Amino acid sequence: MAAPETGREPVVSMRDIVKIYPDGTVALRGVNLDIYPGEVLGLLGENGAGKTTLMKILAGFLKPTSGYILLRGRRVVWHSAAEALRHGIGMVHQHLSLVPVFTAYENIILGLPSRMLAGARQRIEKLMEETGLEVPLDEVVELLSFGEQQRVEILRMLFRNVDVLILDEPTTNLTPNETETLFNAIRKLKQQGKSIVFITHKLREVLEITDRIVVMRRGRVVGELPRAMADPRLLARMMVGREVLMRVEKPPAKPGEVVLRVENLWVKRDIGTWGVRGVSFEIRAGEIFGIAGVEGNGQAELVEAITGLRRVERGKIYFLGRDVTNLGPAELYRMGMAHVPEDRRSTGLIMDMNVVENSILGLHRWERFLRNKWGMLNWAAAEEHAKELVKKYEIAAPGLYSPVKYLSGGNQQKLLLGREISKNPKLIVAAQPTRGLDVAATEYVRRMLVALRNQGHAVLLVSSDTDEVMQLSDRIAVMYRGRFVVVTRPEEVTEEKLGLYMGGIEQA
Amino acid sequence: MTVTAGNSLLERLRRDPRMHEAVLRFGESIIALVIGLTIGAVILWVSGYSPGEAYYYLFQSSLLDTYGLTSTLSFATPVLLTGLTFAIGARAGLFNIGAEGQLYMGALGATLLAWLAMHVPLLDSPLGTLVGLLLGAALGAGLALIAAMLRVYRGVHEVVSTIMLNWIAYWLVYYLQSQKLYWPKDPTKSIPVPPGARLPLLLPGTELSASFLIAIGFTVFTYYLLWHMVHGYELRASGLSPRAARYAGIDPNRSIMLAFVLGGVAAGLAGAGEVMGRPPHYAITSGLSNLVNMGFDGITVALIGANHPLGMIPAAIFIGALNAGSRAMQAFAGVPLEMVRIVEGVIIIALAVPGILHMIEEYLRRKRELREIAAKEAEASQAG
Ligand SMILES: Nc1ncnc2c1ncn2[C@@H]1O[C@H](COP(=O)(O)OP(=O)(O)O)[C@@H](O)[C@H]1O
Ligand SMILES: [Mg+2]
Repeated sequence: MAAPETGREPVVSMRDIVKIYPDGTVALRGVNLDIYPGEVLGLLGENGAGKTTLMKILAGFLKPTSGYILLRGRRVVWHSAAEALRHGIGMVHQHLSLVPVFTAYENIILGLPSRMLAGARQRIEKLMEETGLEVPLDEVVELLSFGEQQRVEILRMLFRNVDVLILDEPTTNLTPNETETLFNAIRKLKQQGKSIVFITHKLREVLEITDRIVVMRRGRVVGELPRAMADPRLLARMMVGREVLMRVEKPPAKPGEVVLRVENLWVKRDIGTWGVRGVSFEIRAGEIFGIAGVEGNGQAELVEAITGLRRVERGKIYFLGRDVTNLGPAELYRMGMAHVPEDRRSTGLIMDMNVVENSILGLHRWERFLRNKWGMLNWAAAEEHAKELVKKYEIAAPGLYSPVKYLSGGNQQKLLLGREISKNPKLIVAAQPTRGLDVAATEYVRRMLVALRNQGHAVLLVSSDTDEVMQLSDRIAVMYRGRFVVVTRPEEVTEEKLGLYMGGIEQA
Repeated sequence: MTVTAGNSLLERLRRDPRMHEAVLRFGESIIALVIGLTIGAVILWVSGYSPGEAYYYLFQSSLLDTYGLTSTLSFATPVLLTGLTFAIGARAGLFNIGAEGQLYMGALGATLLAWLAMHVPLLDSPLGTLVGLLLGAALGAGLALIAAMLRVYRGVHEVVSTIMLNWIAYWLVYYLQSQKLYWPKDPTKSIPVPPGARLPLLLPGTELSASFLIAIGFTVFTYYLLWHMVHGYELRASGLSPRAARYAGIDPNRSIMLAFVLGGVAAGLAGAGEVMGRPPHYAITSGLSNLVNMGFDGITVALIGANHPLGMIPAAIFIGALNAGSRAMQAFAGVPLEMVRIVEGVIIIALAVPGILHMIEEYLRRKRELREIAAKEAEASQAG
């Protein structure tokens, strides 16, 4: 292993950290990590790798399910983030946590006892000067730009004299100039002997600013190397990795007629900026079209636009030859579209409704589940339907009438997938369909998708798991910053190459 | 499964989740009632009253004699309806506390009928009854619709809007009662509903009128709507997860509208029923004193009944009994009326107990489970 700064003791070490969220998501599977004084440590990994979770544990925001933390060799247990902060570990979150109506100055000193406030202003001004992180101290925070707000957060930590400063994806919402300012500050802090943990999924940044890089994947540390030895190719390969899953058998595709055609689609994000910037493609019956990419590059917006959940600003969507641009989900389902959404817990299923009720969600106005035109539900038919799904997809549920929150993630996904297939769809849109599932359930879902394709359904697969996209797809597109940077076939590309497209390092 | 097997009540109870949930919640509510009454007894005892005597008069006079029982049911009537207002809202994910004002508007509707009947004798008849109920329902729904639109189009939270609308309705009806629609013979009342247009009494000589049947009917209708009709399914889906609802092609805003309007109709009927079916006044009394708090008491009913229409029927009767019996308790056991409020309060707090126990149990179970999985993961990672 790379042992930087030999002879120096780590400031903090994390040992055998396992974190399982209350809903059963296994976020960390036994992680060891050392942080040395005066280094910038890059924590690299795809979305969902567990970076944020690991650092939240270090900074006392979360408790590990098992494992422990050593601070300068002594074992510590954090009862709160405030305690970790008192011991010199501070974290700046991806979503900032300032009081919007307070001034920058007030936010920085917030919560400190008055005895520590003597000359606070001068000290903050000195910090700003030293680091170059300038902010208007008397301005109300909600009037500041995101970059300035982030500086307030960093100053807040520095004012408390942290030794370890954790920055979670700090550049996501910064302009290039702001990023430069931030990087300069990081370099200066490093010279003062502080340790900085820089979380990112961007290869370029990690190569620019860090001294040492730790790569995470699916809740594990999969590699560690000094920056000097790192190159984009290597990092990309470590990030996307290879899994020990069985390969899904896949006979050659027999593409039929065009099922979905998307023409120059433009879609906005919630915050009003462009999420999808001019995407065009076609999917035919009997093929799986996979969209790979690091999350947050417009895939979610694209899926929502196609499935009728988000407004299309420009461009057209044709489904089965009909213009369905900005048509609602109910009509699309009737026409033969199915949607396995990215977030099954909050979108695809209703946790507090039972299996029967969930088995008709989205189909509940179909004639077979209604007794008459007044809208009386035919629960007998619904029960029959749920029973069929449970049997056909081997769903393990405590009962047809237990809330689906009591089903495991894999069984929830089977129920969801089964329900969507029961629409007998022409097109299945599956977003991150195996996220958070165990190995067996993952394989089941992947087989299912291939089986559907073999039966002549069209499948749109969106996944940030490169391996999955490579294995299942007949054609692959890589999405980066709202555009397809490449459309290709799995035979014609390596995973490594795909990783470079995903990181925006290579353009086709 | 054969069809015949599914017909016995027991079998349906076992299979049907809605029944299941209802039975469970009912049990929890009973436990809470027992806890509430027990703690209430302790408080009575500490305060120097005899709990046995107090409860004897409380329930003897409210449940065990005919007059008391009818009085209990007539007290239960409006709070059952305003309870539905809250419960339907809660099922749609709302915190609708506007029943109070909507009830005033309903009472105003009935009073408008009384005023109309002075000029149109034809309305001194069952036709007038119908017109009065419709006016009440419409005015109640109208007030609710304002809150609904503020929520859907302007994003105004319903707690804020309904509190303000409650006051607007109060002073509006107060003004109309005292300045415009007062009864010249007795200006402390509004114009009374003429005898022909009143809701008939179910038992002559008691206070119990057909408004009780309206309340029960509306309750059963609400139950049916929520669990056996597609609109109710969509309403509940919207309340549990607006995102999932949208995904399923449901417009959560439509559910919000439906919940508000239906709730407004319920509260409006409650108000109209109080004016058209409650002896001796058949009118709004000065300061709305015969109406005040009936909307808020509905929230208690909804809480005890776990927002389930059918569970709310016994809950409303219980609250009705406390109200009806408190007079006898004061008269014969010398216990102040306010004691009843304390018992109500304790019951509401006690209602949270089964839920809390359930949460603790779930938490401990979950924690044990997670530890086990974590141990396995750590082992696997050390081995690998
Ligand atoms: N509060 C939570 N409850 C349940 N699962 C969570 C929670 N937060 C994160 N996760 C899951 O834990 C995994 C790791 O997430 P995270 O640490 O945020 O990854 P990263 O920061 O590397 O993108 C993901 O699968 C994510 O969905
Ligand atoms: Mg993260």
